[in-house]
Amino acid sequence: MTSVQAFNRCLTSLFKGGDTRPMSLSSLQSAQESRPHGRQRLLVIFRAWQRTLLLAAQIVVLAFSPASYRPAARRQQILAAVYWATAPHLSAFLTLSALISVVLIRIVVASAQSYGLSQYALGLLVRTLVLELIPLYAAMFAAVRYSLPGAHHVRERLADLPASGGSAAEQRLLRDELLPRALAAAFSVQLLATLSGLLALVLAYLMVYGLSPWGLSAYTHSVGQVFTLPVSLIFALKTFFFSLAVAIVPMAASAQRDQRGRYRRSSDILEFARLFSVVLTIEILSLIGNYY
Amino acid sequence: MNEPATPVEAPSDDENRPVSNLRQKAMLLLWLWLALMILTVVYLLYARGMFASTQRLTLIAEDAEGVVVGMDMSFAGFSIGRVARIELAEEGNARILIDVPTKDARWLRSSSVFTMERGLVGGTRIRAYSGVRDDPPLEDGAVRPLLRGDALAELPRMTAAAREMLDNLKAMTASDAALMTTLANVQQVTDKLKGPQGGLGVLLGNEDAARQLVERSNALLMRADTLASRLDKLVARADRQLLGEGKGQDGLVADARQSVQQLNGLLSEARGSLQKVDVVLVKAQEIAGNTSEATVDLAALRGEIEVTLRKVDHLVKEINRKWPLARDTEIKLP
Repeated sequence: MTSVQAFNRCLTSLFKGGDTRPMSLSSLQSAQESRPHGRQRLLVIFRAWQRTLLLAAQIVVLAFSPASYRPAARRQQILAAVYWATAPHLSAFLTLSALISVVLIRIVVASAQSYGLSQYALGLLVRTLVLELIPLYAAMFAAVRYSLPGAHHVRERLADLPASGGSAAEQRLLRDELLPRALAAAFSVQLLATLSGLLALVLAYLMVYGLSPWGLSAYTHSVGQVFTLPVSLIFALKTFFFSLAVAIVPMAASAQRDQRGRYRRSSDILEFARLFSVVLTIEILSLIGNYY
Repeated sequence: MNEPATPVEAPSDDENRPVSNLRQKAMLLLWLWLALMILTVVYLLYARGMFASTQRLTLIAEDAEGVVVGMDMSFAGFSIGRVARIELAEEGNARILIDVPTKDARWLRSSSVFTMERGLVGGTRIRAYSGVRDDPPLEDGAVRPLLRGDALAELPRMTAAAREMLDNLKAMTASDAALMTTLANVQQVTDKLKGPQGGLGVLLGNEDAARQLVERSNALLMRADTLASRLDKLVARADRQLLGEGKGQDGLVADARQSVQQLNGLLSEARGSLQKVDVVLVKAQEIAGNTSEATVDLAALRGEIEVTLRKVDHLVKEINRKWPLARDTEIKLP
């Protein structure tokens, strides 16, 4: 498959959201002929996102339901998922995050000093790095390293089910497979974003003031000036919705049946594109909330 | 028809791997996250000044443009307060309510001045100035006016001044303006200067006056020339009187030279006479010294004579007492 075709398929899947099976070149032409147009196409997209939202709501309901944590074995399963979603990736993510933070801090501080605007450097750093970039790449990191592979695994398990599987089996799968992975992915985003944000704050202080403790008061004041109540609220909501998206969107896509009622394997790049579109939408909404 | 999806390593392989103390490690991660969240929230609350006791200061401004909730009020470059609220007063003014931490309130005095500055770069700044540190501290809930020190606010004034200047310039350069009339007159003057009468025509106004002035000037110059020739003759005559005409006729200078030579001779003679007088004076000085010595001796002699006379007088009185017949008491001195 050429890269153009792959890109075309990616876009089609992104906006269609339904059947995401890979196609060959010959089948692509027949599929284009039978592709729904106009209103029908919008309807398909709407239904696909409706199913995703429905499944997301089911996972949220299960997450807040005490019965989901009642058997000790399931609690153990959730804890194991939390561990596997977070612990193996901590060192790599923190190293990457520290590297990106140091580069960005150095660029911003040096640029601000050269323009004589060093008093705005810390505020700019906190706004760009801690508020916007770190939650974004923490979410992407958790998605790539845990959520998407987990969704692939869930889809494999679901594909083994018969096409006319009962709702009881689906409920069980939701609880046994999707819920632990969703909770673990959400937790992973939260922990990685929190750790990385604090690390960036410490690095920013060290790069601006060095090891001197005398800048702590001014630094704290600058940080506090950025984190007003609306900004803090939007930041918390954004991080929460990022973690929710990383937890649910890949899982929901993996748990969708096709028109024949079967679970089919799909490409990871398509699932990532779909997740990225959701995360980007959340980011844009948060930017609108913060700066407009 | 279905292409196989991109192979992804399923996490289940790892997850099935046994991990020692998995539950404890997972719980540790959960507690770590919880602790970090609490730490972050507490730090942000501290950074927002939630744990610091504050006092309220209300600043009254004409408008609160550029002022936002949360912005700083600085004193000597340090932030000592934060805008808590902005509201519109009944009088139509903006009321800016500022929370000043109690520990920083000591920098504010009852005579403190508050300004709002709006620079070309950066946001609006509220600054406090305390000129007299000995004044009583600013009380809680104080209301003070907020003065404007605005770079952007100067722009309309500068624009108005520039417009006024341009209007003046336009009025000055108008065709019927005084400046243009003056320039036209200058043009006429330069045209006259370039004319046959030149500067005289400009100064005297008409051609006849200029011609008369030229004729009189010429006559004056001729008389001056005559006078100069007579002066030349006078000078030549004076030269002759002074220097002579040669061939035995010496002038005043030669006579003066001879007189000077004679005067030198007289002076040398006078010098010799004075030397003789010096000798005489030396001798007179010696005589005077001898005379003064003689005068000292005369004084002793006089004293002795006086003693002798007193003795004689005493003797005569004794004789007269012893010889009363003698009538002649006159004593003739030698």
